[in-house]
Amino acid sequence: MTDSVEIMAPAGDWASLRAALQAGSDSVYFGVEQLNMRARATNNFTLDDLEEISFLCSEHKTKTYLTLNTVLYDHDLPLMKRIIDRVKETGITAIIASDQSAIMYAHKQGVEVHISTQANISNTEMVEFYSHFADVMVMARELSLNQVENIVNTVKENNITGPSGKLVEIEIFAHGALCMAVSGKCYMSLHTYNSSANRGACKQNCRHAYRVTNDEDEELMIDNEYIMSPKDLCTIDFLDRILATGVKVLKLEGRGRSPEYVKTVTQCYKEAAQSVLDGTYTREKAKAWKTRLEEVYNRGFWNGYYLGQRLGEWSDQHGSVATKQKTFVGKVLHFYPEPEVAHIRIKTKELQLHDPIIIVGDTTGVVETTVESLWVDDQPSEHAGKGVECTIKVPAKVRPGDNLYLWEERD
Amino acid sequence: MLIQFFRNKCIGCNYCVEVAPERWQMSKRDGKCVLVGGKKKGNMYQIKVGEHERYVNEQAANVCPVNVIRLD
Repeated sequence: MTDSVEIMAPAGDWASLRAALQAGSDSVYFGVEQLNMRARATNNFTLDDLEEISFLCSEHKTKTYLTLNTVLYDHDLPLMKRIIDRVKETGITAIIASDQSAIMYAHKQGVEVHISTQANISNTEMVEFYSHFADVMVMARELSLNQVENIVNTVKENNITGPSGKLVEIEIFAHGALCMAVSGKCYMSLHTYNSSANRGACKQNCRHAYRVTNDEDEELMIDNEYIMSPKDLCTIDFLDRILATGVKVLKLEGRGRSPEYVKTVTQCYKEAAQSVLDGTYTREKAKAWKTRLEEVYNRGFWNGYYLGQRLGEWSDQHGSVATKQKTFVGKVLHFYPEPEVAHIRIKTKELQLHDPIIIVGDTTGVVETTVESLWVDDQPSEHAGKGVECTIKVPAKVRPGDNLYLWEERD
Repeated sequence: MLIQFFRNKCIGCNYCVEVAPERWQMSKRDGKCVLVGGKKKGNMYQIKVGEHERYVNEQAANVCPVNVIRLD
């Protein structure tokens, strides 16, 4: 059993980064515009953001990891080196890399390296090989818990240490999207759209329904299952077994997902991991955490390969099966700190007393609350309609420009 | 024919260079593509070229995964 565990949260933009910090993540990972596996995402940080990310996260004692894990071509090498130089200058904790050129350059510059899942580490000798360069390695997603435990034990028995001189730390994926490709390396999007997943431009066309047809034009319907789209990984109901293997870092997927997803998932895993370490983890608690996880974006849950299932479990519909949904209502115009009141312009639909809401913003992160008091034209009101300005009490600081959403059970 | 290139969103995948190497080149300075002869205008680069270049540049626009090449 591990004596400490690091919860690593995804940060696709500023709001998600703040949400991860609010939720108590021990570390965050993120990419800059190019050379990361979510390069195609509309929101990505820039090299100029690194200094602020580093400063902000150090205030929260949260480690920062920059992903630099795409396929690299010759023309990428100067940029790769410039990114790593900037990582060093700004005090970002480490890079997550898979290409040997990035691993080697970072190592030479004294920048901490974590080995990405794209390196597909699946046995002890690979761990030993990469230990010359890295102190932390994420395992291939396809390993079972027994195989992970065997690797952790062998690291201890053979005293496999990284550049820091400490035992190599083993990291695994704990939650979020899985694809059908080996360790995330996939050519499907490249084949069909000339849009390489391995350059960070995945079109995620595996998430659609497909029909199988043979040369005789006979068609096989796959029983309404999205056969190339696995359900999302969820390990919270066997997290005690996960931590019993001795893994040190749990990675949560979702740089393309919303801030409230990041906050909820990080909170749940942080609480669950702590309860395993405290000896207070129970099946009932795990069930409650899973219910909370179901509220935010997911394609349905399965255990991944950790418990040795022979076949994947496929999603049976396109998109999310989250039990909650957010609906945009309006924008924050002003915040009055002393009474903790937000001035809101309602833009799309009516806001009513007792509505559950979330307010999301780049600096605010995610504030979740219920409308306990609502004022229109300085008079208490039961509701505020489209086009109306109102004030509501909020439990934390929000900022002009933040978006306010209804946060309701999905129909 | 006018070629427009929104360079800030380029992810340096190299596909346009593969199909139209005389008009597109990779920059080792920042790993993004360069529209050869293009002039900067606002947040994009653009150049007017002859119709004989249409076919290969249509291919370049089609293979671009982030849709940052436009032809008029």
